[in-house]
Amino acid sequence: MSILERETAAGSLARPRRRPLTDNPRWLGVLMIGPAVLYIVLIVGLPFVLALYYSVSDITAGSRSLNFVGLKNFAAIVGTSQFQTALRNTFVFALVSQAIVLVGANILALALMRDFRGKWIVRLLLLLPWVAPISLGTIGWLWIFDSLYSVVNWTLQALGLISARNWPMWLGIPYLAMGSVITVHVWRLLPLATIILLAGLSSIPKEIHEAARVDGAGFWRHHFRITLPLVRPIMLVALLFGLVFAFTDMIVIFVLTRGGPYDTTQVLSSLAFFTGIQGGDLATGAAIAVFLFPLLLAVAVVFLRIARRTEVT
Amino acid sequence: MAGQRLSRRQFVRATGAAAGAATLGANIIIPGRARAAKTLKILQWVHFVPAYDEWFNKKYVKEWGAKNDTEVIVDNIGLAQINARATAEVAAGKGHDIVQFNWPPPAFEQQVVPMNDVYQELERKLGKPIDLCVKSTYNPKTKNYYALSPSFTPDPVNYRQDLFAQVGLPNGPKSWDEVRTGGAKIKKQFGNPVGIGLAQEIDTAMAMRTIMYAWGAHEQDEAGNLTLKSKQTLDAIKFVKALFEETMTAEVYTWDASSNNRAMIAGQISVALNAISITRTAEKENPDISRKIQLTKALRGPARAIGLEHVMQCCVVWKFAENVEGAKKFLTDYTTNFHEAFVAGEFYDFPCFPKTVPDLSKLIANDPKAHPPDKYKVLDDVLTWATNVGYPGYATAAIDEIYSTWLLNTMFAKVAAGQATPEAALDEAEAACKRIFAKWKEKGLV
Repeated sequence: MSILERETAAGSLARPRRRPLTDNPRWLGVLMIGPAVLYIVLIVGLPFVLALYYSVSDITAGSRSLNFVGLKNFAAIVGTSQFQTALRNTFVFALVSQAIVLVGANILALALMRDFRGKWIVRLLLLLPWVAPISLGTIGWLWIFDSLYSVVNWTLQALGLISARNWPMWLGIPYLAMGSVITVHVWRLLPLATIILLAGLSSIPKEIHEAARVDGAGFWRHHFRITLPLVRPIMLVALLFGLVFAFTDMIVIFVLTRGGPYDTTQVLSSLAFFTGIQGGDLATGAAIAVFLFPLLLAVAVVFLRIARRTEVT
Repeated sequence: MAGQRLSRRQFVRATGAAAGAATLGANIIIPGRARAAKTLKILQWVHFVPAYDEWFNKKYVKEWGAKNDTEVIVDNIGLAQINARATAEVAAGKGHDIVQFNWPPPAFEQQVVPMNDVYQELERKLGKPIDLCVKSTYNPKTKNYYALSPSFTPDPVNYRQDLFAQVGLPNGPKSWDEVRTGGAKIKKQFGNPVGIGLAQEIDTAMAMRTIMYAWGAHEQDEAGNLTLKSKQTLDAIKFVKALFEETMTAEVYTWDASSNNRAMIAGQISVALNAISITRTAEKENPDISRKIQLTKALRGPARAIGLEHVMQCCVVWKFAENVEGAKKFLTDYTTNFHEAFVAGEFYDFPCFPKTVPDLSKLIANDPKAHPPDKYKVLDDVLTWATNVGYPGYATAAIDEIYSTWLLNTMFAKVAAGQATPEAALDEAEAACKRIFAKWKEKGLV
């Protein structure tokens, strides 16, 4: 009996073998996406639900028991001037930084669409702020804005534009401090927005651009009437990412100003940290942290709907 | 084999096996070392005097571990991360056996092992602890010691002797009025401002309380009742506004806990309230400026001459710690042998049980590293002028939250910058303090 015959005979006697899960496309899909879903549920979902629960409780940093107190924490904070200042700052910080990011990313993406020498190195440099650890990058900026060793001030002084006794205190004057944190935030988010827009621009068929050129459309008309409407869905995604980041992130402010001078750069996320973790009032900190959640959820839903409606298929 | 393609099944198996090996490898493949019978895990800050960490991590804990058949693991983290780490450990119910805070941590009382027995044993061996220590670790409401404080750090006035000498104050300022008048003259003549922080950080928190207490203003009375709103507080706020306008620059709004150190060593400022980390760093990095920086005691205000501790080392042992007895023994032994720590830390930390360093006066009166050698002698009677956060009461959970959320820092800074009137800023701070006091009273900790 040949080997083939032996195997065939053995196979016919044995029970039919069950196909392993990895050979079943339905289960393989579940298996592949499972870790990602699990990751999101454990790392994002559960802490978020916990934060919602904390916000209606009386938990403190030093206790592991909690009681339900309804909306008491929200009622206690919304009337305080510190919270109102932080709320106002949050909107200023998020909206101004995103407006700059959007304009800057458009300009950069258009520039990077063209072919020029050393394009790859420009792209690499552009990505650096995004891939570098944000805390390290921000510490670098802290030195740039430092009251004693600011490289900006040294340069301005060397150029004779300011005197040694007249150094601008980038992080010590409210409008300069807000400008500084917005600058660093823009520096950080611009690469991501640019790359997203670049992907959008690359996906526009060349024929459309050529047709516009043949029809005699100038740069502005071409850009505002053709290019922008076509990349609007992906631009909205970039804007959504940016807004959510700006509304919820606190690293730049925590490293540069810690909310100062006198709360003028305090945003809701940093106030939540100082109240909940530093001050030990976890419940109030959680209430501050989730305060904008309904608004952000609504913004996300609206943006994604618009993006889907205007999607080019 | 070259050219052979992996099937999907083989790929998934191979990836799974590799992930498993990577997970287990560290535990199986890397040979273990001989383990001690017990483990003790300690979390503490990165000391401002690097020589201390060198001694503690590499010498003291190793020797103690060998004597007690215990592997001691020390994790050093930045000062600003301690609260966040402690909160995470409580939430997880797992972490280090000993956590050292650099300020009183009364909010964690429900999660820590009471230290009453450790204090009793130490008191039997070493005599009574200093009042500053008791006020920073004891809750009179629950009658519990929630932490053990082996040491504290004095917060003297660091001043530029060369500059003050030129404005008629060769021995430095002795009162807050002299800081104001002398500081204004120095700023005008030499361009060096006074360096008292007005930012969201610990040195500002200490300095503002120092001024308040010197003016007879307090967050609370001896019994723990809120007393922030007073004429004395208003006067203290007005003084800080005048001090800022006449002697300082907006730089102080930008500071973190080490900014005044850097500014003083860079020769930029004329006065700072800080621990001796300024002078110790200057001795190593800039001996010239080190000779110019001298120390003086707490400054006199309208009510009294008083200063604060700069850092209060408060060690807690979690209820969920795996080695509670080992932790207590370690703390008892460390406190008993504090003399070594005092010398290793270059006099940065002073003992809470004075008998542990009987030759303290002699040591600080003649330090070969200092210029002049008796520079640190002014700290000899520190206990007569240093007090705790929350003076004249205890450092309660409410006081801790007010301190940690920079409420008073912001109150003073807003007025100094002209963003609020003294009355409005005080009203705002008082309202926030009332809410905090009410919350902690409800929890039974105040």
